[in-house]
Amino acid sequence: MNDLKGSQVKAEISMMEGRDSLPRKSGDLVFHEEWEKRAFAMAIALYSSGYYQWEEFRDILISEINSSGETAANPKPEKPGYYEHWLSSLEKLLQRKEIV
Amino acid sequence: MSSNHKHSEPANPYLEKRRNGEETSELEKRVSDIEALLISKGIVSKESLDRMIEIYEKDLGPMNGARVVAKAWTDDEYKSRLLQDGTSAIAELGFSGLQGEHMVVIENTQEVHNVVVCTLCSCYPWPVLGLPPSWYKDAPYRSRIVLEPREVLEEFGTFLPEHQEIRVWDSSAEIRYMVLPRQPEQSKGASEDKLVGLVTRDSMIGVGLPKPS
Repeated sequence: MNDLKGSQVKAEISMMEGRDSLPRKSGDLVFHEEWEKRAFAMAIALYSSGYYQWEEFRDILISEINSSGETAANPKPEKPGYYEHWLSSLEKLLQRKEIV
Repeated sequence: MSSNHKHSEPANPYLEKRRNGEETSELEKRVSDIEALLISKGIVSKESLDRMIEIYEKDLGPMNGARVVAKAWTDDEYKSRLLQDGTSAIAELGFSGLQGEHMVVIENTQEVHNVVVCTLCSCYPWPVLGLPPSWYKDAPYRSRIVLEPREVLEEFGTFLPEHQEIRVWDSSAEIRYMVLPRQPEQSKGASEDKLVGLVTRDSMIGVGLPKPS
């Protein structure tokens, strides 16, 4: 098992800019629930082990976020939160890669 | 917070919790299903996921900034680029991700010692300095460092010569400051890798000095 390979923060993840940038407060990642952390870590672990390119995950994440119609200027708290989009993206990608 | 203090470039809309208990259990189930599957296939382990979370929550340490400082100490041309355009010079080393803010690097000299604060909230150059220490966000630091910087630095154990002027730099959404500390005399000639180890987070905020050797 080599999913600890490169156990360093990866810039392409921590530095994502735009609608899909990670929720942060003064640099701290913002997680509300344990499941959010686990979903976060799984997507990164799979990428680190070479199951997909980060851009593939990110493209899905961006389209999930875009399809909610939510933007910073037009927040919609009733819509899925960031890690719900993240989770849906992970599920889609796992299907696409036939891991599930 | 004052409304003309533009600290949050359009705020990330996802900072508040959104889901109630029932919705949360559904989400938890979806996540644990995936996790169970990936574990059964030997693709991840519980421990590796825990470790991954820990890395992203805690280990985004000040090493990035330390490398910037060590490079500036050993490479004069890099140093002048750094002082001229911090954002680009830092990006040269592969550190970016600032969300529209500019990095300004201010150099400590014999005459001037610099300290960084964000008086109105807690703007912090996290891509280079990692997670902010808790005191950085506390009201006492934010107000007192401006009013009585020398006393505050002494409380941090940093005693500066009386003739050295202390300048306090107030970060904002547009500008994030980082201090380029003075290289310890004893460390002249040391390798860049060795120097990285001398650069502390506090020395890049300006409340401390680098380790002497």
